[in-house]
Amino acid sequence: MARIVVLGAGVAGHTAASYLQRYLTKEHQVTVISPSSIYQWIPSNIWVGVGRMTADEIKFDLKPLYKKWGVEFLQAKAQRFYPEGDAEINSGYVEVSFTTPDRSGQTQKVPYDFLINATGPKLNFEATEGLHPGEGNIASVCTFSHATEAWELFKEKLEKMQNGQKQTFVIGTGHPTATCQGAAFEYILNVDFEIKRRGLQDLAEVVWITNEYELGDFGMGGAFIKKGGFISNTKLFAESYFVERNIKWIKRAGVKKIDAQKIYYENLDGEYLEQAYDFAMLIPGFAGHGFQAFDKQGTDISAKLFAPNGLMKVDADYTPRPFEEWSVADWPQTYQNPSYPNIFAPGIAFAPPHSISKPMTNKNGTAIYATAPRTGMPSGVMGKVTAENIVNWIKTGNPEIKHKASMGKMGAACIVSAGYGMSKGTAATMTVSPVVPDWDKFPEWGRDINTTMGEPGLAGHWLKWLMHYMFLYKAKGKPFWWMIPE
Amino acid sequence: MENRLVIDKYSEQYYPPTPTNTTLFWRRFIPFQLIRFMILNWKIIRIVAKGHS
Repeated sequence: MARIVVLGAGVAGHTAASYLQRYLTKEHQVTVISPSSIYQWIPSNIWVGVGRMTADEIKFDLKPLYKKWGVEFLQAKAQRFYPEGDAEINSGYVEVSFTTPDRSGQTQKVPYDFLINATGPKLNFEATEGLHPGEGNIASVCTFSHATEAWELFKEKLEKMQNGQKQTFVIGTGHPTATCQGAAFEYILNVDFEIKRRGLQDLAEVVWITNEYELGDFGMGGAFIKKGGFISNTKLFAESYFVERNIKWIKRAGVKKIDAQKIYYENLDGEYLEQAYDFAMLIPGFAGHGFQAFDKQGTDISAKLFAPNGLMKVDADYTPRPFEEWSVADWPQTYQNPSYPNIFAPGIAFAPPHSISKPMTNKNGTAIYATAPRTGMPSGVMGKVTAENIVNWIKTGNPEIKHKASMGKMGAACIVSAGYGMSKGTAATMTVSPVVPDWDKFPEWGRDINTTMGEPGLAGHWLKWLMHYMFLYKAKGKPFWWMIPE
Repeated sequence: MENRLVIDKYSEQYYPPTPTNTTLFWRRFIPFQLIRFMILNWKIIRIVAKGHS
């Protein structure tokens, strides 16, 4: 019997748990540990944030599903890792503390034979002074509860405009090295769509603020796309979207502070500037969860398991190199920890070897650039591949890793909603292949120009709408869920 | 709502391409978008299929 512990029940963790229970017989124990029993389809948060969906439409309780599958569920959060065990427990274990009111403060040691750390990022709001979602005029769409609050705030601003008051909406990144620009990009387009749908555009100023060097960077160094007889790039694509909608933009901006009226930022020229706002939705920086790790003797080995940013070290090449020497070979393929091969970290929990976009620092020494994104599709693939490798190891007894999924090889699709509606909606369907440009394989454009694309239109909205229901169906483990790809 | 409402000359917003009304029509024309929907699905499936070994 093998004990597999999965930390986290997001896209990577839940996908891994789903395939583990499918491929393994009941003699093996799969345990999922997560601070919340709610699964949320994060890409639809932006629709909650503009009132087009309710939180209940994008989430469900995992407990009944795990009970049906025979997966143990502990509503708790991991605190400490003991990959060698200790004097009492002769296998690796994690120490967790429960988050339910009835067991709050209680801890438990959970032993494992295989550990999947899919804890995702810590939303590091505290890294930006004053960035407190839900307070004042600051919103977030990072979780379903944040998105619900964002809609309440947005509704308030719409009412003010209906009463003739001008409002400034500032949306983008809230930290000099934030990632996940795509989510903010979708949100600003949806906010703009809803304002115009109500005929309030004359009373609204909509502003995009971003740490990207150029628009359309999206933390992946931008992408070249074939369109209208030209090889263009996502810079023009994103700028065209904004110009079409009269959305202004501020780029190369590292937001450092926000108060009740203004956003304070530095730019790459080293200038200290301000932007007034009435409504702000700024994506925070991401960080690890601050886990600690100890060896059998109780010596702190956190640095062995985790990178300085708190994310877990995996089979990436972390050798510091200048941007010009970066390669797709630096990126991990198996998400296996090099020190403890029975520990894996798929999804956002793994420490990337470096960013994809070129790091930039201004004369004040402030780094301002987009760090590497890891969206739902790659996270799902990583979760599945991790499960397949563990199953193979258990069934054959051979620790050889057969299944691989490098972001330097796999592609990703991102449907950028720009307005909800089955006949009036729109979205940009964006695909990149691979996610990390491979300049050796594709020396001209860094990626496969035939499968990397960006296409605006109503069809994109249908796709995003379809994916919402399709991936929730899959996550709920409905009949033949496994036929739906990640 | 789609066309430029404000053009600040020599600002960054002055230079990017703006879709014409014809382009906007095709982006919303349901029969054409149904075809694009099929094509986009096919392209995404191709990417998914070669996503991992």
